[in-house]
Amino acid sequence: MSVSVNIDKVVKKFGEDKVIDKLSLDIQKGELFTLLGPSGCGKTTLLRMIIGFHSIDDGQIKIDDKVINHIPVNKRKMGMVFQNYAIFPHMTVEENIAFGLKVNKIGKEEMTERIDNILKTVRIEEHKTKKPENLSGGQQQRIALARALVIHPKVLLMDEPLSNLDAKLRIEMRNAIKNIQQEVGITTVYVTHDQEEALAISDRIAVMNKGIIQQIGKPEEIYSRPANVFVSQFIGTSNIIKGIIKKKEDGLYVHLNDMYAVKMNNLKQDEIVDKQEVLVSVRPQEFIITNEESGIKGKIDSTMFLGLNTHYFVNLDSGERVEVIQDSEEEEILPEGKDINLNIKSKKINIYHADTKETLIKAGGHDEQK
Amino acid sequence: MNKNKFNLWNISSVIILLLMLIFIIYPLFLILGKGIFNSETGAFTFSHFIHFFERKFYYITILNSFKVTIVSTILAVIIGLPLAYMLRKIKIFGSRFIQIIVIVSYISPPFIGAYAWIQLLGRSGVITKFINDTFQLNFDGIYGFAGIVLVLTLQSFPLVFIYIMGALKNLDNSLVEAAESLGYSNFQRMTKIIIPLIMPTILASSLLVFMRVIADFGTPMLIGEGYRTMPVLIYQQFLSEVGGDAGFAAAIATIFVIITVTLFLLQRILSRQYSYSMSALKPMQAETLSGTKNILSHIAVYFITFIGILPQLVVIFTSFLETSGGQVYTGRFSLENYKNILFDRDLNAIINTYKMGFYAIIIIIIIGIFISYLTVRKRNLMNSVIDTLSMFPFVIPGSVLGIALVFAFSDEPIFITGTVLIMVIAFVIRRMPYTIRSSTAIISQISPSIEEAAISLGASETKTFYRIIVPMMLPGVLAGAIMSWVTILGELSASIILYSTETQTLAVSIYTEVIRGNFGNASAYSAVLTVTSILSLLIFFKLTGKKEVDL
Repeated sequence: MSVSVNIDKVVKKFGEDKVIDKLSLDIQKGELFTLLGPSGCGKTTLLRMIIGFHSIDDGQIKIDDKVINHIPVNKRKMGMVFQNYAIFPHMTVEENIAFGLKVNKIGKEEMTERIDNILKTVRIEEHKTKKPENLSGGQQQRIALARALVIHPKVLLMDEPLSNLDAKLRIEMRNAIKNIQQEVGITTVYVTHDQEEALAISDRIAVMNKGIIQQIGKPEEIYSRPANVFVSQFIGTSNIIKGIIKKKEDGLYVHLNDMYAVKMNNLKQDEIVDKQEVLVSVRPQEFIITNEESGIKGKIDSTMFLGLNTHYFVNLDSGERVEVIQDSEEEEILPEGKDINLNIKSKKINIYHADTKETLIKAGGHDEQK
Repeated sequence: MNKNKFNLWNISSVIILLLMLIFIIYPLFLILGKGIFNSETGAFTFSHFIHFFERKFYYITILNSFKVTIVSTILAVIIGLPLAYMLRKIKIFGSRFIQIIVIVSYISPPFIGAYAWIQLLGRSGVITKFINDTFQLNFDGIYGFAGIVLVLTLQSFPLVFIYIMGALKNLDNSLVEAAESLGYSNFQRMTKIIIPLIMPTILASSLLVFMRVIADFGTPMLIGEGYRTMPVLIYQQFLSEVGGDAGFAAAIATIFVIITVTLFLLQRILSRQYSYSMSALKPMQAETLSGTKNILSHIAVYFITFIGILPQLVVIFTSFLETSGGQVYTGRFSLENYKNILFDRDLNAIINTYKMGFYAIIIIIIIGIFISYLTVRKRNLMNSVIDTLSMFPFVIPGSVLGIALVFAFSDEPIFITGTVLIMVIAFVIRRMPYTIRSSTAIISQISPSIEEAAISLGASETKTFYRIIVPMMLPGVLAGAIMSWVTILGELSASIILYSTETQTLAVSIYTEVIRGNFGNASAYSAVLTVTSILSLLIFFKLTGKKEVDL
């Protein structure tokens, strides 16, 4: 049933401004694929090109190898869930869901059956005859989902569907969406700016910035091996500090200062020259506060106790400022103003080219971790 | 998205634009043309304008109009502002009922007010007689400047009231509380916080009052006696010039339009300059006062409301009084007046009013929905032009529109003067803006993604429009349409120029009966008109569950 979506070198211009320039992307059958990026990165534009609210200025979009560029929106058979739900306020829940079936001339019996099924799937059976104004945001979003799914669309498109919900409901609904999507098995394109939501929900993620795809991958790949500095900082928190690579006989070492270096086994050796300047990306939990003399010297500027762990903001001797996380249970809390030494977990960190900001970790470097 | 040139939207834009060009722009240009070209030689001339400004008899009407208008506007604000503030700030018993009464007194046409006040304070009015008998005076009744100002002030304060009530509702009380916590006294909070925040509304509503008052024809005509304003002059010149040179009436109309356009532009600039977007999370709460203050504020509110609604009461009351020969009250009650207007003559005036009003309101609703949708959602050059043109009727006084339509359509190719059609056209043009305004407001609130959702589910653009947009717009459209409808019923200034024996309306009948001194019939007609307006409004409130109208 489910289809693949093939986006091939598409271009979108608003006036002279190229919002999307020759973007290509393959979405596989039945997967939940997320377009993730900061606002203005072009993710919603791309989504609206897939459904047809935006024309495609160049390139093509194919559904199962069939080009859909010139099929009007109302013939594309794609279901869309909007940020503000876009529930028809003058219709009951049932009438909202029936709307798409009526315009597609589905028979009475089948219509009733489909509506009842989808109401069960999204679990809003008891609200069938209510007007939407009396329902909560989460319930309205379920109606929107049901209304989009009931027409048996080829693809389901979701545009920031959770951003109008409060934090708790957001988590509940993202689990619901994930479950329903797996149950129905429909190819889904999901747009969000919330990296945590993307990591939680997606089969694969495309991180976008300024109309360009920065990286495509599974959530864990994107988190642990970001392809460039942008992704490493956009997904989770990363400290970027300067380093120099030195080639030695037994391999490559990244020097963080005169005294402290770590050996790296997963670097692209061919692209690296001796004494090359690099950017080292270290997540807060990849630092180790140590008593050893070797390490990166710094002074704790401020401490933030958050229960499960403690965050330290540390001013390094180099002038750089980093965030360090320690497990609250295992370690005692260090006072502000204390001088400390930091080591890093070399297998976890990422190394980027100082100019191109692209990763210097070998492809598959992720796997070596295991 | 849709590259097709001949879709529903483009076609409706073209049709609407064409209608506007034929029925609004062309007649207006004709007026200008008649004013500045000699009708016989066709030569360009300012002679009509010079003629106007040479004689005090003519140009005094501009001064008169401005005097009447400025005084009435100021008085309307002085009455409307405190009334609104009191109703928001103080718990007044029956405040919802008071609001409805004020709206009712607003929707009735001004000339009914003029007529009712003649009954009370005219030469042989009830109050006049009482004063003269009691105090042995020789008060000759309230005519001229004072009479016009009295009627138009009482007619206009409800508009200021309704606008300021709206603004105060949107004023967040935490702003006032913030000022209080910073040590501001009650009086300081009023002058430093509340007044500045509602100032844009005060200005906007007083300019609206200004425009309405300056263009009003019926009131100065009935109660003005020798005190002539511009609409009166235009009407008189037009009547006396029919068959002769219409150029002079056209020239006066042109001068009048220039004045009103200037005012209108001023209003737009001001309202753009001074507008805050406010939405109250915590609106002002009405408080219960105690003792003298409470009694005084109740008396003030009730008194103002009573004076406002008094014309309607007088009209209905006098309609049941017996008259001898239709002119002098005998002091007994009877249904004679109703018998006269309902059975002793044909019912045309009443039937015409409802029939032509109904045609007009249907056209207004349909075109109004399209204009508001096109100007908000399908923004392009053509629709921007439509947007601007749809504001024109705000600017053109009814008497000017009436003359313009006569000039334009009394000859081939379109000869419709004297027909139902020309009356309907005048109604549509004059009263469309109410519906457009409220329709535009509601379409702006509907998220575009609602339409996109319908389209993504497989509906065509046309189907989405009829099934989703129109039903969602309807409450807003009807809120405006009710104002269009009620003001159509009382339309006088254009009707008086355009009517024929076949298309006489209630408003025209009231006017002619008053002029002839047939107060009995006039009051019965007025009662029918007033009751229809009130019933329409109440049915509307009932059906929509609203308590407010869009002005």
